[in-house]
Amino acid sequence: MIAAKIEEYAFGGLVASIGVFTLIDAGTIAARDDNAVGPRAFPYAVGILLVATGIAAIIATARGKLGQAEEGEDVDENVRTDWVTVGKLVAVLIAHLVLIDLIGWPVAAALLFFGAAWSLGAIWWKALPIAVVLALLVQVVFAYGLGLSLPAGIFEGVPFLDG
Amino acid sequence: MLLEGFATAAQPEYLLYALLGVTLGTAVGVLPGIGPAMTVALLLPLTYTLEPTAALIIFAGIYYGGMYGGSTTSILLNTPGESASIVTALEGNKMAKAGRGAAALATAAIGSFVAGTIATVLLTLLAPAIADIAVQLGPADYVALMVVAFTTVAALLGSSPVRGLASLGLGLFIGLVGTDTLSGQQRFTLGVATLADGIDVVVVAVGVFAVGEALYVASRLRHGPIEVIPIGGRWMTREFWARSWKPWLRGTFIGFPIGTVPAGGADVSTFLSYAAEKKLAKRPEEFGKGAIEGVAGPEAANNAAAAGVLVPLLTLGLPTTATAAVIVAAFQSYGIQPGPLLFTNNGPMVWALIASLYIGNVMLLVLNLPLVKIWVKVLQIPRPYLYAGILLFAALGTYAVNFVVDDLIVLLIIGVIGFFMRRHGYPVAPLVVGLILGPMAEEQVRRTLQISEGDLSALVTSPFAAVAYSILVVLLVVAVVLRLRRKKSEVMV
Repeated sequence: MIAAKIEEYAFGGLVASIGVFTLIDAGTIAARDDNAVGPRAFPYAVGILLVATGIAAIIATARGKLGQAEEGEDVDENVRTDWVTVGKLVAVLIAHLVLIDLIGWPVAAALLFFGAAWSLGAIWWKALPIAVVLALLVQVVFAYGLGLSLPAGIFEGVPFLDG
Repeated sequence: MLLEGFATAAQPEYLLYALLGVTLGTAVGVLPGIGPAMTVALLLPLTYTLEPTAALIIFAGIYYGGMYGGSTTSILLNTPGESASIVTALEGNKMAKAGRGAAALATAAIGSFVAGTIATVLLTLLAPAIADIAVQLGPADYVALMVVAFTTVAALLGSSPVRGLASLGLGLFIGLVGTDTLSGQQRFTLGVATLADGIDVVVVAVGVFAVGEALYVASRLRHGPIEVIPIGGRWMTREFWARSWKPWLRGTFIGFPIGTVPAGGADVSTFLSYAAEKKLAKRPEEFGKGAIEGVAGPEAANNAAAAGVLVPLLTLGLPTTATAAVIVAAFQSYGIQPGPLLFTNNGPMVWALIASLYIGNVMLLVLNLPLVKIWVKVLQIPRPYLYAGILLFAALGTYAVNFVVDDLIVLLIIGVIGFFMRRHGYPVAPLVVGLILGPMAEEQVRRTLQISEGDLSALVTSPFAAVAYSILVVLLVVAVVLRLRRKKSEVMV
């Protein structure tokens, strides 16, 4: 409960601070004087909205009115937050975006699918072949079906995979 | 005009696109964790190679299909506690558990078809007339319409107006990033070259919907087998028809107007229809235990509202739901601005699109009734693979926009924000609507004030705008009164 409250304060604070940033940075936008309404006015309004709602969310939290977590078919409301899995998924996504330019999309994508499925509880020797086949299939469909070539990386020059 | 539309839409090529759209739509409607908004966003970069008519027919199919598929899940998936958010699940789930799943599925699918078709007829009749009136609206009137849309989507719907408005603000802010179209000035780009072109709608929509949802579900994944209730009972009996047809029609005429006005799309209409059926029922004691009227009405209302949302979307360019917002972005990516001139400038395309809605409805009836067993299989995809697949295609769709890794960084950041929004009751729909409508609203405000030479009163003096703001004030007062009353009754209890 306390952890949830701290998180709520933090998110409200984030909204408000994005608002503050908007207000400060809006002042640096170059604007000519001859124009009735320049490129600054709307950002100021958005900044005020963000600051006001961020502070209002913090006040609501302080009064004990916490936001209701979203419901969903696959969401179990009775379990604690599994931060380890969330962390693993974020790590897998970071690995994916770093690896695309290094070893190519097919390998980075297979790792993304495999890593995510494994983090979520799939058996690794079942997830691995699916990941490899799926990544190669998408690569081929993109290259030949849509005419968009994803970086082949280590498969450069390989027929079918390098569009 | 509509006949010409049918002539286009009935070409084998377009029929295939419509079939592809409705099939995909049903699949994403059936599967938890992905919805039509995200699917349309994901497909946007992949359909650049298609001509606009074909792409829009696919998107419309996904939009209608998602409405059909969702009911199958809420009727057959045995997940307690979740049902309050989807009205169909209240009665449909009970019917399925009592061995009457077949009748529940049938009334949902046929009701969706009846409502979808009637509502599409209404759309066909109304849209050109509204477009004719809308041509006369000035920039100040558009500002008023957008303010109404912003307020209803963000503040009037959902449990927390503050969080809804905060979500809207975040969307508006993301919409500001990039180069200002009127002055050419860079705003909030932090000097980063990738941000100078703005943050792509696809990246934001996929981020909040796909990545945000996947992370959120992962944090509280329901483990164990997926319990699907077996489909039992008889499909269509005489009693089935006798008890269903009135709720279908009532649901249609509740849903369509609600979808048409910027008052938040389908959810409100399903609640209203459910309440109406409960009040009118001959056997109200059955409600809560599996009353077929409680499935028939809301399902019809749901689909009629979905068609109603297309009226402001096509005639005013005004999206009132997240999916509609993404469809507006799809139009824009083809250089087409939905609005009053759409019917004059892109007549053949719009009529082909509307004709494809009729055709799509027939396809969906076949897909969702005789072929429902296939979707039950889809529903049983093991969740680790489902969410791994969602993440893979989210990353792929984002990367395919510009083929730069920077977009994936933005995707991850927005996904993490979407994750925390879900944890703390911030609705994500206002963010997407704000992102798409924000830049349009800013342009109209500035045009209004340019014409009036800075006189702010120009924003409210046009008769249309004045009426719109008055209605909004009345709505707000009603909402506040209702909220206070509810609080009072809670205290009394």
